Amino acid sequence: MVTLDLAQISVRDANTAMRAAAAQGEDIELVNPDARHHLGVGLVAPVKVTIRGSAGYFCAGLSHGARFEIDSNVGWGVGDSLYDGSVVVGGNASAIAGVALRGGEVVVKGNIGSRAGQVMKAGTLLCCGNASFLAGYMMYGGRIILLGDSGERVGEDMSGGAIYVGGRVQSLGADAKLAEITPEEYADIYAFLAKYGIAFEGGLQKIVNAGSKLRYGVNEPVSRPLSYTVAEEGTYWNAKVAEDIHAKALIGRYRIRGYGAAKAAPHFNDIALKIDPERIHAASDALATVNLKTTLGDRNGAKPLELSMPVLIAPMSYGALSKSTKIALARASKLAGVVENTGEGGMLPEQRAEAGQLIYQCLSGRLGWNIHDMLKADGLEIYISQGAKPGLGGQLMAKKVTKELAAVRGIPEGIDLRSPSRHPDIMGADDLVIKVEEFREATGYAKPISIKMGAGRVRDDIKIAYKDGFDFVQLDGMQGSTGAASTEVLENMGIPTLAAIQEALEGLREIDAGDDMPIVLMGGVKDGVDAVKALALGASAVAMGTAALIAGGCISCMQCHVGNCVVGIATQDPEHEERYKIDVQAKAIARYLEAVRWQIATLTKALGHSDFRQLSRADLVALTPEAAAITGLPYDPDYHPVEHVLTEVA
Amino acid sequence: MSCKPFSVDLSQDESGLPHYQPPPCQVACPIGTDVASYVGLIWEGKTSEALEAITATNPLSGVCGRVCDAPCEPACRRAGADGPVAIRALKRHVLDALGHDYRLPPVQPDKAKKVAIIGAGPAGLTAAQDIALAGYHVDLYEAQSRPGGMALWGIPDFRLPQKVVQDDIDRIFSRCPGIALHLNSPLGDNVKLDDLSQSHDAVLLAIGASAGKRLGVPGDDGAHVIDGVTFLNRVNGGERPILPKRVVVIGGGDVAMDACRTALRLPGVEKVIVAYRRGPEEIPARAYELHAAKAEGVEFLYNVAPVSIEENKGGVALKCRKTALGAPGADGRRAFSLVEGSDFDLACGLVIAAVGQKAVSLELARHGLMDGDKIFTRSADMGTRLPKVFAAGDAAFGSSTLVQAMFQGHKAAYYVLAALEGIAHPAPYRTPYRTRNAPVAQDILWEKLAPKEPPFLGLDKRDPFGDAEADYDARTAHEQAARCYRCDTETGSSDYTVKTRESIFALARPEAGPTEIAAITRTRLEKRPDLKPAGPATFDELVFLPANLTRLVIDPYREACKSATDLAGMKLAQPLLIAGFEDAPEAVAAAVAKTVAETGTAYVGRRPLPGLSAPWLQIVSDPVAADPAAAAILLDVGETTVLPRTRPGQLRGLIVTAATLEKGIACALEQRADLVVLDGSGALGAAWADLAGAPDLSILPRAVEQMRAARAEEAFPLIWFGGLRSGSDLAKMLALGASAGLVDVAAGLAAGGAIKPEGVDFTGVEAPEAGPRLAAYLKAATSECSMMARCCGKTNVHNLEPEDLRTLSLRAQAAVGIVMAGRKKIA
Ligand SMILES: Cc1cc2nc3c(=O)[nH]c(=O)nc-3n(C[C@H](O)[C@H](O)[C@H](O)COP(=O)(O)O)c2cc1C
Repeated sequence: MVTLDLAQISVRDANTAMRAAAAQGEDIELVNPDARHHLGVGLVAPVKVTIRGSAGYFCAGLSHGARFEIDSNVGWGVGDSLYDGSVVVGGNASAIAGVALRGGEVVVKGNIGSRAGQVMKAGTLLCCGNASFLAGYMMYGGRIILLGDSGERVGEDMSGGAIYVGGRVQSLGADAKLAEITPEEYADIYAFLAKYGIAFEGGLQKIVNAGSKLRYGVNEPVSRPLSYTVAEEGTYWNAKVAEDIHAKALIGRYRIRGYGAAKAAPHFNDIALKIDPERIHAASDALATVNLKTTLGDRNGAKPLELSMPVLIAPMSYGALSKSTKIALARASKLAGVVENTGEGGMLPEQRAEAGQLIYQCLSGRLGWNIHDMLKADGLEIYISQGAKPGLGGQLMAKKVTKELAAVRGIPEGIDLRSPSRHPDIMGADDLVIKVEEFREATGYAKPISIKMGAGRVRDDIKIAYKDGFDFVQLDGMQGSTGAASTEVLENMGIPTLAAIQEALEGLREIDAGDDMPIVLMGGVKDGVDAVKALALGASAVAMGTAALIAGGCISCMQCHVGNCVVGIATQDPEHEERYKIDVQAKAIARYLEAVRWQIATLTKALGHSDFRQLSRADLVALTPEAAAITGLPYDPDYHPVEHVLTEVA
Repeated sequence: MSCKPFSVDLSQDESGLPHYQPPPCQVACPIGTDVASYVGLIWEGKTSEALEAITATNPLSGVCGRVCDAPCEPACRRAGADGPVAIRALKRHVLDALGHDYRLPPVQPDKAKKVAIIGAGPAGLTAAQDIALAGYHVDLYEAQSRPGGMALWGIPDFRLPQKVVQDDIDRIFSRCPGIALHLNSPLGDNVKLDDLSQSHDAVLLAIGASAGKRLGVPGDDGAHVIDGVTFLNRVNGGERPILPKRVVVIGGGDVAMDACRTALRLPGVEKVIVAYRRGPEEIPARAYELHAAKAEGVEFLYNVAPVSIEENKGGVALKCRKTALGAPGADGRRAFSLVEGSDFDLACGLVIAAVGQKAVSLELARHGLMDGDKIFTRSADMGTRLPKVFAAGDAAFGSSTLVQAMFQGHKAAYYVLAALEGIAHPAPYRTPYRTRNAPVAQDILWEKLAPKEPPFLGLDKRDPFGDAEADYDARTAHEQAARCYRCDTETGSSDYTVKTRESIFALARPEAGPTEIAAITRTRLEKRPDLKPAGPATFDELVFLPANLTRLVIDPYREACKSATDLAGMKLAQPLLIAGFEDAPEAVAAAVAKTVAETGTAYVGRRPLPGLSAPWLQIVSDPVAADPAAAAILLDVGETTVLPRTRPGQLRGLIVTAATLEKGIACALEQRADLVVLDGSGALGAAWADLAGAPDLSILPRAVEQMRAARAEEAFPLIWFGGLRSGSDLAKMLALGASAGLVDVAAGLAAGGAIKPEGVDFTGVEAPEAGPRLAAYLKAATSECSMMARCCGKTNVHNLEPEDLRTLSLRAQAAVGIVMAGRKKIA
């Protein structure tokens, strides 16, 4: 057994030492823990860890196989995303005990704080005392056993699993109901309690999902959008408005679709590069002479992502997209030497195998989130929101929750899946920094950690991202797409991509941040032309979602949410997915990325530069008063490049 | 309909329109058929409009509906998914559905000049129609006893009944009285080129390639060998010879397919074998024909070439050798070589050689017009070696498909017309693309519906030459039409438009090299005009700021958001009131009244709705009209000094517009009004006032400002009227300081109404449905409103504030005084 004294060493050193000891099969004892955060985080070995005192946040989080015993109390998030193994807390646990459990057992001898077992998926959370409010909030599976009182609104918006309450059920949460308990369940629970030496023979009440909220009675009557031009014809009460109202009058709820904001808003088309189009020729040697290589993510000493050009594939989930599409994107990203991203909902083994570099995204529902895939990833990303639907949680209908998808996400098959609008453990800037630290501790400070944000109060948000130590930011404007969101949110929530980059850079300037934290801009970047504009405005790289999908055959019918994607992209239906030919589309996407590379190189050269990092605002003019107002670029709709600002291309 | 056929009028090309992208099927069609429109029209059930779209460029629509090789289908984008749209079979459906005697109105000749066309096959007929429709006289000379050329003589009846050919031809002649047809008039005997050149202003040679080529091996002229076209011509002419038991067809093209299936239908035949010199991957016959031949029992031998034919006791021994395939040659087809020592014999009673056709004409040869077995023709202007003599079709460019022949007919007609009109250097011909902008099929199943081939009837022994394929039934045709992606239509996104999509597709294509990429890049660099529509700022130019890292507020666990509304003590379930409906049919108005009560809202109007039990806010222009039954009186003239009240407890309010704002608010403050309606439309009180269009948003911030200046911000609640369509619009007005919104046109639409010039029309609306629909709309709008609030981190819609908003345009910034996104301050 190895004894580590936290009065002597830092948490980081302690965690490193624990990993080393565990690798040798040694049990570990931590003395003087002093309620420090992140103790035992990311430990993957079947050893016993004894903590002599109290632990802080995320004790035993993201671990697999170890048996933790904490003599005294723990801070919030004990056993966060535990894969398997056990955690026994002698005293009380703070909020979100057992958050996002994916297996294993968390036993708290005392009381637990609010939202215990939030978004847990499997395993058992036992509390011998009382729980605070919202226990089992949005849980997907597994069981919570509360021997004392339940707290208020127990089981709120749970979609799967069960909560057993030995004491009083103070109040049921929304969409939760009481259910019968079978003798087998009783036997099982008693056996579990006996295993931990807990004497309890009383009766229990069981709480499960009532299923009253997620079903929609009527389908939307319209299957394909009217041309966007209908809304621009000048009549206020045009056919699109009438169609929209008629549809809502039929379904009684907001409408859903895929893609981003469809209305016209200031965008890349409203600014121009100072290039005479006539000077762009096929015979360009720009690919050979202009530097496009860059790296992302070493702001805090992690191993950076290596990009052959300043382009990333935007995070898009397996779930919104078919597995075949994710594989094609991964393959194409590798061919092009750029970075792929898992998006929400976990990492597919095939995707990991095909992608050269892969960012792994962590969302509020912690779907598919686990230590093993974190270790396999090349970067970790905390999703706060996206441009298409900032401020809202996600939802996936049971029909799409196939067996394979459920396995990757770590949830029961065929449940109606909703995810909360906020992370269980990120209420604000302070929590966020602790969360980031947890990921760093769990993965040995080796991986870049980025944040994905839809554009809202960017000027302020970016400062928090900076201060919380993110390695880079993925910033998404209101033009950014989605697989499904409310049309009203798509059109009315968030600010345009142009405004987002402007505010981000100004915000960073206001705190003298320098250019230490790169910004990856996305939301309606359609090709190398838009990419160059974004880079000239100050983005360090761009990401493309929809454009990559279109290159791979998406026909822009915007019906992603229906799940019957006609080309097999946005679907989990095997018959539809079969229509998508991975090899054909992977090659098409890769060719598209090469064309983008050609464009970025050629345009950079045409502007007189030899490195894309030399692109600047001086290379741009605004074509509309709005674009000029937003970006501060000169308004010059009649701009004609003067010969001397050009260098010959090709 | 224009009398000029579109295909020779390049000015009708619409492919340059900002929102029109010629779809791949149209581009693949040599004659630019507006496929997407006709398929869309079929879905809509507009069959005769569909035929107009088809025949505009295709005089042989019926023929093509049966036997076109349909290059559009492999080009169809859906081919890459679950199979192409059945473009050809749908065309047949249109023709069958309309009936064989469907005719288009005639177009009389109105010009003196005359054109002679030799050959009434697909190329000749097409050109004749184009030229006749342009007003000229045409003399059409046909060597055979009936017009139709290869369409009539070369394609067997079970694929193309002669009646169908005849219908198309009849349609052409009834439409074009200016065409005079001369049958049994081959070039040479009575019809001399020299004479025609004298008597006519131009001559077009479209004589076709109807002589079969020989096999080119020893014995290929024997008694047991016949060429494919001759064989088909004779059978189509009505002969039904008894054939030997075994027949071998040599070749792999469409003539070979027709020949083998025809042979199978003749008496005496037991077995038909097709021998093709390349492999199954290379065989040029259309998959559909190949499939049909196999389904009917034809056998296929691949990688086999004949080397000689020897007579033996009443039959032949066809000496064959195996072939080996090499690399693709210049034409993209793989070369083949004979494998030594692989010889074998095929015994049979008849060899049909279907290895190509050629044009033969002594008369033309005499004039030096021939170049081998083709007429020497310049593809640049379809001219020959003689002035004013043009050529088109298989005789000019070698045997090809029907639709290719029609393309050449159009093209030749274009240059002939140019010559007639004295245009020395016409713009080079290209197939023009046109769209009829048919609406997209709103078919819930469009993504799911599988491709379905028309019913295959195959070989019926009782009627061997009857139709081998049937038409779709109407429902199947409708379903198959629903499958179309409608690549021609503009998308629903102003960001990812159809042109953007196509440009991304183009960059991803295998053939995209630097030339293509450079061209696309140049287009993308071009500056575009500022297209912002004129008029006042609208709700669309306002957006909300979501709570991300900052303002992660208050109660992060509560997904619900409150929307209950209190208007001067009047308690409503949601911040949305209803107006309009005063002139709606009684039953609809009563249903609306019921819904207003059930949904916990209130009604605003000059008169209460019938049976209204919910609060009624009465609009009055004259204080004496105030009704004690009303919950509130809203005076709609801003200047009156005394706000009426007919009983204690009745709320007093007024309606102010942009014109009366200052006085109105001042009056409301002075009189201690209970509530004020801000009317952005300026028309509230009139029927369906919202039809006035985009409201003046500025009056809300101005009213708030005025109240603030008077230190009376909370003096009375403001109710917004004007332009509200959705819960998001409402949320924006709540953020700007309103307490509730008022809708009329949106409610009218929700109740099932339609906008007509006179107002909202309820013709055909079932009153029992109107109520629930309005309730559903209110529910949706309220949920949208609270969704906006929630995204901003609020748990009550009334907590939305101006700080939650940004504007997207300068005019909106000026109108509502909210800074534009991306900027720190207004100026
Ligand atoms: C089908 C689809 C699924 C998406 N899923 C996610 C996701 O899981 N996580 C995320 O951060 N963003 C997601 N996004 C948003 C993209 O990451 C990105 O912000 C957006 O697509 C950028 O705009 P663009 O599509 O115009 O390039 C998704 C987008 C699409 C189209």
